[in-house]
Amino acid sequence: MVDGATAGLFLDAAGMKALGAAIAISVTGYASAIAEKDIGTAAIGAMAENEGLFGKGLILTVIPETIVIFGLVVALLINQ
Amino acid sequence: MRLLERLWGQKPSRKSDKKKGTSNYPYAVTRVRAMKSKLLPKESYPRLLNMGIDEITRFIQESEYKNDVDELAMKYSGGDLAEHALNRNLALTYDKLVRITLGELNYLVVAYLKRYDVWNIKTFLRGKIYNASVEDILESLIAAGEFTYTSMSELAAKATYQEIIEALKYSEYYPLLQKFDGTNLAYIENELDKMYYTGLFEAIGKPRSKDRKLFAQVVRLEVDVKNLINLFRLKKAGVQQLDEIMPLMIEGGLELEPEKLAPLPYEEFVNELQRTQYWDAISGVTGQDITSLITLESRLIRYYLESSTILSHVSPISVVPILDYIIHKNNEVTNLRIIFRGKETGLSDELIKDQLVVI
Repeated sequence: MVDGATAGLFLDAAGMKALGAAIAISVTGYASAIAEKDIGTAAIGAMAENEGLFGKGLILTVIPETIVIFGLVVALLINQ
Repeated sequence: MRLLERLWGQKPSRKSDKKKGTSNYPYAVTRVRAMKSKLLPKESYPRLLNMGIDEITRFIQESEYKNDVDELAMKYSGGDLAEHALNRNLALTYDKLVRITLGELNYLVVAYLKRYDVWNIKTFLRGKIYNASVEDILESLIAAGEFTYTSMSELAAKATYQEIIEALKYSEYYPLLQKFDGTNLAYIENELDKMYYTGLFEAIGKPRSKDRKLFAQVVRLEVDVKNLINLFRLKKAGVQQLDEIMPLMIEGGLELEPEKLAPLPYEEFVNELQRTQYWDAISGVTGQDITSLITLESRLIRYYLESSTILSHVSPISVVPILDYIIHKNNEVTNLRIIFRGKETGLSDELIKDQLVVI
């Protein structure tokens, strides 16, 4: 634990950890949202013509979800 | 990049005076690719050639054209039914493309589909000059451009071509149509075509992005194929005067230079073509002794279709796959029409087969 007087008011280690975890989650969440947006609309487009593509479309749409899972893992590791 | 620009409150980097908004490329392209997978496979054409007209209509009724045949079955029968159903389906399909695209994509698709406006205007003029009945004119109309079927039915019901031209007063074609005096139909038709391509190249603008470049390339390839087919026809008919040939050529081709090729005699003209990318497609059918250009034309069209498919894979999320679908759908409708009109007039299967462009 760093001394509050030497590290300044905002460099509290627990606070920085929480900020790091927040950044890891929010940035990865945003990144997978962007990726899923295009894949999701494309999957809907394909499904509109051929309903049998629902399964494939769903799987492809959630693949970028891994990005946010990595973010979650990193956030958990930071807070250990 | 666009996202960052939007976050910083700047306009997207593509500077243009036309408001295009955001496009929905992934949605439209995937949907169109799924639509392309529903086109008739090439195995079905030999089967169609073995059928009679009623069987073909039945076959069409059981395929993607079901709704159109059902809708029109009350009014028409036989070959007319198939013809109307095909035209209706083509118009609805293209209308769907316009509906599912947004922004820049929509702008390009609409610019490309204006060819059907030109087609319909030509049909009106031809029909009225040769006193065709309103039904005959309606049969040939394809409401895929900016004119709706209802407004075109009204136009077709007008008595003379002057009235039709007057009704088109506020369209972009009016200045050209005013020059029509009842005798210069061929000139007006050529000029309409040229006007369409000029408009399309204007819409494409000076291509900066990769997909625009590919789009321009496909359109320019099409211009080349059209010019080449015309040149072959003219050469076969013995026309060699530059001032007779050049008004028939469309500007903006990819590789051909009509002003160089036009004055050459047939042998040299063919030799000159050996340097172009079209030679592989047409070698073997360009001999001096060939009597019919049918095989050559269908090979050139096939080359054009294949090239557009290849280019559509170069840039998968762009306007090119949609363009590729438009021309393949058009080709399918043309093929079906050739088959049942050929059957109706009693042509031999061999002759019909030569005319088909099967990919």
